Amino acid sequence: MRDTVLLLAMNGLIWGLIIALIALGLSVIFGLLDIINIAHGDFFMVGTVLAWFSLSATGNFWIGFIVAPVIGFVIGAIIQRLVIQPIHGAAALSIVATFGLSLILQETVRITFGATPRRMLAPIQGTVPLFGIDYEIYRLFAAGIALVALAGFFLFLQHTKLGIWMRAVRHDRETAVAMGIPAQRVYVMTFGVGFALAAFGGAVAAPITTVDFRGGVDVLPFCFMAVIIGGLGNLAGTVAAAVLLAFLEGLVQSVADPTVARISSLVLMSAVLLLRPQGLFKGFTR
Amino acid sequence: MAKKLSRRSFLECALAGGAAAGTANLTIMRDAFAQASGPIVIGHHCDLTGAISSWGFWHDKAAKAAVDLINQGGGIAGRKLELATEDTESNPASGARKLRNLIQRTNAEFIVGSVHSGVMLSSIPIATELKTIYFSTGEATEATGSKGTRFSFRTGTDTYSIAAASLPWCVESFGKVWTIIYADYAWGQSTAQESKVYIERAGGKVLNAIPVPLDAKDFVPYLAQISADTEVLLPAFIGSLSVAFYTQAKSMGLDKKMKMYSSSASIEAIAPDDIQGAAEGVYFFENFPRQLKAKDDGFHKQFNKLVGIDDVDAREVGGQRVMDKSHGWQAWEDIFALKQAIEASGYKTRKDVEGVIQALEGMQMTNSLAHPQGDKIIRKQDHVGIIDCYISRVENGKLEVKKRIPKEELAQNMPLRHNLSEMPV
Repeated sequence: MRDTVLLLAMNGLIWGLIIALIALGLSVIFGLLDIINIAHGDFFMVGTVLAWFSLSATGNFWIGFIVAPVIGFVIGAIIQRLVIQPIHGAAALSIVATFGLSLILQETVRITFGATPRRMLAPIQGTVPLFGIDYEIYRLFAAGIALVALAGFFLFLQHTKLGIWMRAVRHDRETAVAMGIPAQRVYVMTFGVGFALAAFGGAVAAPITTVDFRGGVDVLPFCFMAVIIGGLGNLAGTVAAAVLLAFLEGLVQSVADPTVARISSLVLMSAVLLLRPQGLFKGFTR
Repeated sequence: MAKKLSRRSFLECALAGGAAAGTANLTIMRDAFAQASGPIVIGHHCDLTGAISSWGFWHDKAAKAAVDLINQGGGIAGRKLELATEDTESNPASGARKLRNLIQRTNAEFIVGSVHSGVMLSSIPIATELKTIYFSTGEATEATGSKGTRFSFRTGTDTYSIAAASLPWCVESFGKVWTIIYADYAWGQSTAQESKVYIERAGGKVLNAIPVPLDAKDFVPYLAQISADTEVLLPAFIGSLSVAFYTQAKSMGLDKKMKMYSSSASIEAIAPDDIQGAAEGVYFFENFPRQLKAKDDGFHKQFNKLVGIDDVDAREVGGQRVMDKSHGWQAWEDIFALKQAIEASGYKTRKDVEGVIQALEGMQMTNSLAHPQGDKIIRKQDHVGIIDCYISRVENGKLEVKKRIPKEELAQNMPLRHNLSEMPV
């Protein structure tokens, strides 16, 4: 029993780090653009598909780690100009627009990639004995990569010109514009970065899950829960919430049905909405 | 205050109502006449988009090919056959709405149904209400069992017949200690329930039946619940969930610790080669072998040619798609079954549907191009296809048949539980 609890808690932590990458993209987009992005799960799915195409074309798995976020960034920037910019400031419309975008992305992938799910072989094979089971080494590696990417993103936000612009526009758009920050360009870049983060998460997770045109549908609710619990637009809070949620679900799953674990996450989210609507981590992070 | 009805306005209303009723009657008479001499419309309730669109593609292709073949041969009882297709979106709510469209707007007289268990179970009450025969192509046994009606039929297997056909042999050959892990929805639940009964009947024991939510991405929490004492694991997943399961089970080395046996649904529309060995060594139930050599005859070969698949992987000729062969054949054969029943009953219009039902109940079909899966019978009482079944193993990326279960053995292992033939039309 002790082994099972430890295993599921640790697995939750590892899985949470991967999911945090995706949820962070959702939070970045919401925090700056006030966009409730229903298509965000599909950005993750596009990342898995790009990684699959990259592996098929080059035979090299690692190239997907570059190809997926770079192409994701470009697609994200184009989407911002064509879909998001025309509805800027209308949060309710963003739900309808991004729902349509979600269908377009899914059907585009279904037509080009096909409806059959595919498997990607992990570049690192093998298992290590861990708390009574053989645990996949690639998962440990993927969690490490996710951790590095998350740290890299926060360094980018703190120490680069674009990162500072993004924070400035998010904090006070009018003053930022008055100071000469090109807000429109920042919006385009931000949406691109949000897409790139989700696509990178897809490339990292693809060997663990599957490559499938509906692969993003199931990821979205978990990401939304992380964003809500972490605090809308609170980036560090979102990461902490994603890890916390996956960890807690892992713990609950060791003693109860997985469905009970998901219910416990929903209860936590409801409690946060009622008691701390600004998010669980308000005051702990900037 | 309510307006008082004058004699003049009453007469106006009565005349208008009478005229409308007369027009409606003329329309009904015209439709009835048109049906008796015009084309017969078969509706195809097909999962063209959504979660199992990789299967729906093949059902659409098979149904169209069957209709073309029938029309080339002169149609049904001298009448042309028309196929009207509606996309269920692999969604029970959409599927229910689209079925009404098919029957009430497109005037489909018979339905070749969805392969999605949730869709077909939500459709049967509607088909019954609208007095339209509905052929299920999915596997939840309830469609021709506890939720079946006089109008619900199937030519293929269901969770009950799959368990009855395969598990006695599997328990004897693979081991007595089983664990079931299944997708937590209609088909998965039905598979778990039916399989447990047959495993125990064969002297085996089910240690645990583990439900997995449909939105699961990470299987570790569920795989961790599988007891180390398990000799045989029965996974019941479809589509991406199935690929995710085999991928993660393989990466954790479960395939080295226990045997695995699953329904064809778990590998449908997927070539084992395409999932990089994740299903290598796993046993699967099939009812129409993927490889021609396992049922090597001209009808099977011609069917493969007309549907456009190769003889080894059931892969699209010149493409990458793989047919859901143990399900997709039903979209073809159901149309030929209807042809046989319509011609036998002398069906002219919708009012003759009872005759078609009676013809289908207990109808025998002979191995032919119309029925390339093989000889079969639709059992009169429960409207289920009694057919030859197969158990195959993935070896070097191909499904190799290891055991054939004749339809007589299936019928013997599968006692009657429902008598739909006594229900009213």
